Amino acid sequence: MATREFTLPDVGEGVAEGTLEAWLVSEGDQVSEDQPLAEVETDKALVDVPSPVDGTIERLHAEAGDVVPVGDVIVTFELDAGESGAGTQASSEPEAPADEAGADGSEPEPAPDPDPEPGPAEAPAGGNGTAEAAGSSSSSSGRVFAAPSTRRLARELGVDIAAVEGTGPGGRVTEADVRRAAGDEESSSSGEPATAETAATDTDDGTVTVTAGDDGAARAAERPPGDTVASPAVESANRDRTLAAPATRRVAEEESVDIDAVPAVEQRDGEPFVTADAVREYAEKQRQAQAADATALATGEGETVDTDADTDTDTVAEPELETSDASDASATEREEREPYGGVRRTIGEQMERSKYTAPHVTHHDEVDVTALVETREELKGVAEERGVRLTYVPFVMKACVAALKQFPYLNAQLDEENEEIVTKRYYNLGVATATDAGLMVPVVDGVDRKGLLEVARETNELVEQARDRRIDREKMRGGSFTVTNVGGIGGEYATPIVNYPEVAILALGEVRKKPRVVETDDGDEIRPRHVLPLSLSFDHRVVDGAMGARFTNAVMEYLRNPDLLLLE
Amino acid sequence: MVVGDIETGTEVAVVGAGPAGYVAAIRAGQLGLDVTLVEKDAWGGTCLNYGCIPSKALITAADLAHEAGDAEHMGIHADPAVDLSATVDWKDGVVDRLTGGVEKLCKANGVELVEGRAEFADDSRLRVVHGGDGQGAETLVFEHAVVATGSRPIEIPGFDFNDGPVLDSRQALALESVPDRLVVVGAGYIGMELSTAFAKLGSDVTVVEMLEDVLPGYEDDVARVVRERAREVGVDFRFGYTAAGWESTEDGIRVTADPAEEVAADGGTAVDADPDIDTDADAEPIALAADKTMVAVGRQPVTDTLNLEAAGVETDDRGFVETDHRTTTSVDGIHAVGDVAGEPMLAHAGSAEGQVAAEVIAGEPAALDHQAVPAAVFTDPEVGTVGLTAAEAREEGFEPAVGEFPFRSSGRALTTDEDGGFVRIVADEDTGFVLGGQVVGPEASELIAEVGLAVEMGATLEDLASTVHTHPTLSEAVMEAAEHAVGEAIHTLNR
Repeated sequence: MATREFTLPDVGEGVAEGTLEAWLVSEGDQVSEDQPLAEVETDKALVDVPSPVDGTIERLHAEAGDVVPVGDVIVTFELDAGESGAGTQASSEPEAPADEAGADGSEPEPAPDPDPEPGPAEAPAGGNGTAEAAGSSSSSSGRVFAAPSTRRLARELGVDIAAVEGTGPGGRVTEADVRRAAGDEESSSSGEPATAETAATDTDDGTVTVTAGDDGAARAAERPPGDTVASPAVESANRDRTLAAPATRRVAEEESVDIDAVPAVEQRDGEPFVTADAVREYAEKQRQAQAADATALATGEGETVDTDADTDTDTVAEPELETSDASDASATEREEREPYGGVRRTIGEQMERSKYTAPHVTHHDEVDVTALVETREELKGVAEERGVRLTYVPFVMKACVAALKQFPYLNAQLDEENEEIVTKRYYNLGVATATDAGLMVPVVDGVDRKGLLEVARETNELVEQARDRRIDREKMRGGSFTVTNVGGIGGEYATPIVNYPEVAILALGEVRKKPRVVETDDGDEIRPRHVLPLSLSFDHRVVDGAMGARFTNAVMEYLRNPDLLLLE
Repeated sequence: MVVGDIETGTEVAVVGAGPAGYVAAIRAGQLGLDVTLVEKDAWGGTCLNYGCIPSKALITAADLAHEAGDAEHMGIHADPAVDLSATVDWKDGVVDRLTGGVEKLCKANGVELVEGRAEFADDSRLRVVHGGDGQGAETLVFEHAVVATGSRPIEIPGFDFNDGPVLDSRQALALESVPDRLVVVGAGYIGMELSTAFAKLGSDVTVVEMLEDVLPGYEDDVARVVRERAREVGVDFRFGYTAAGWESTEDGIRVTADPAEEVAADGGTAVDADPDIDTDADAEPIALAADKTMVAVGRQPVTDTLNLEAAGVETDDRGFVETDHRTTTSVDGIHAVGDVAGEPMLAHAGSAEGQVAAEVIAGEPAALDHQAVPAAVFTDPEVGTVGLTAAEAREEGFEPAVGEFPFRSSGRALTTDEDGGFVRIVADEDTGFVLGGQVVGPEASELIAEVGLAVEMGATLEDLASTVHTHPTLSEAVMEAAEHAVGEAIHTLNR
């Protein structure tokens, strides 16, 4: 019966990898087409990966928690009879033709293929995940960018190279990619003999030498970070000489990595050979390790970690990552490593881009919201009758929209490329939401066109979806201004980071009763008042301090006298 | 069964000992198979005996004679005399060394050599008829067969290769003296290589070509360089004519040619016609006085001697044996490699196919999955191409990034006194992957190898550009062309 390998499809727009959160099926399960197989967390959302076929799960190639690159094989199906013609890359080449021929000298060739083009023509035309995943390494014409030795390896391992996603420069398919596609690294017991066989063949050929030992190292280096939580030490080499393509050296330079320290994925002519992929992976691990060590230093643990006999107390010991295995070993017990990926990394990249692109200024003020508290108390019951939980946030959102209309530069975006300030005539407000996975910002569209209750209902729904990780990625795009309610947890002032490319973000502190001076007919009196602290961060390239303050004043005016919102 | 037939068995029978067949046989022998190689004429086939090697020997000799006599500007004065029969003897010596080497290699790898003409009796038996009377025949029972019978020149009506003054390329390479006047029919690669060589040896050469330009299938700017240089060394072109026939005259022969039909219909103003090309299209038929005429209008597969029907092996409408990417024919266990299996009809393509056939037979997962097969033309200057042209890349859906480096900007080219032509690299704009290259100029046949490696490895423009090339060499032009494609050329102006 035919089998079919299923690769992780591109589950979101251009995501490169996903964390396999959970399998929804087990080996041996009968599944039908479109039945969810797994939950995969990508940059911003948790998505279900549906089965492309009817069949039986023969093998699951990843474990929950693994970070899986798009295009990697995650499931092998045994196809139902009717499906066998659909896509049988795995069985298109005999698994071990050499053995067959050697054993009995019988006819080893498969029946002549009616289509002389290997590979791509065999990919199903139906446009399932496999075909799409092959996109970056092979063009529409079926051209595969890979060295002849790599193509040979693919044939030997029975891998349809056209379906392998390349991780080399420009998406070139490397030997490691082929081995990964072959599921070689899955289990060492089944992987080893195949490797030995390959080594022998390649040596015969006189072109490439891969020893089993090196491959072991390669597999360790290639393993997704999720697998290495338990042993976080950055594997480093310390060679005098390394073979690598010029483009790979450029990558190393860009990543500030010593190419002689990168674990060699393979050997060529007896020399260690390093791919661009390996360089990037090494650089990534370096960064993680440095970040972790920096944390350790900050908490005073750093000094003891450093075992380099550095007795000079004047120098701040900088942990050496490249080659000091000892420090890594001791660090293992004191630290825990986890992959920086998925939502966490997306947040990080977004924050980094914002903070390093937009010069931030934060303006603080507080507003007496006693009237708003009363208004909300009055409306809360009505809202509840209509099934809506009413918080302060929708009031703030409406107040912001009213103020944004007066100060369009805060509802804007700087188009750096064209050197234009784009002011927006729509008011899509992001609501920063803390979730278990990290910060997410669902966007409520057209707040200016919606009533208070409608805004409240929609905000509640989106926030809930974000917390449940059900939210559609589209619902987190297209914002023009963001509100973040840190006060829900506690605290007064903050210095929020603008949700770039927006230009401003308003943070709400906790509404607290505080003694405040109130002017009465009898003169000034100190009374308990409800006070809301506000922190407005904005991109100083577009908005000056005065405008930021005036905008805040306008927001405060609406919050102080919520009745004014009726005029909007 | 004929009396005297002996039946012998073999695991692999290879028919034809050219560069496809002998490579298949040697590789199969290396893989431990019991191999029999059958050849009806000469070990090494057309390539070694009548094609690639002899023509290159003649071209080298012609170049040497011509350059020596054309070096006054370098302060060298000479008037070389060419004794063609001695040249041919030298060439034959080269050929003998190579074919002897093939024979030795085959034997060293355990290949059984059988001389004779093979034809299929059925899908597991070949009948081998030995040359000469009374030599008899034998039957070869095979488990696998590899058909590698190659190709032969196409004859055109009115020109019979058995007639003395009418030559095919093989006969032209064995002439005892340089003909005073030579009419060459066909301006393809064989016609152009030999026209140029004979012109350099002192012949008065006229080339009759049906199409509008030399080297059909090559890009216009590539062909132009070759055409102009051929004119410089004295080759006369009659584009837009088809050779009609020949007749003897008092002092030699007269070759007649008619205006080619398609061209005549267009009035010689085909869209991409180069203004330099004078197609006398609406002119009358012409007559060209000559001593010899060589016909080089293409090659056809040799399948008529094989009795393929008996084995059930199918051919296409041009007579080529149909094969898949594992060189298997319509019959399991019977493979076909080299010219007989169709385009590209190139010795090195045949060798690659031969290796694959042997490995497939041995049960290895071999397949023809080359990204590109390079091609070279040994004209003056040479042409080397591999992979896609810019136009082909566009057709395949790439946005091509193209870089060029003219040899007139190459120090080494100037010092070899050959500054015509250029290197062009075609890559994918998005990824930088090198998709192909066209080289026309000195040593183009050698220079194309690096581009071929780049295409085959999936190298990027940056890989080529960042690889330090020796100075001063022609190979720098490859690097410069790659740099030009990314707008970083040093010795030419970037686009």
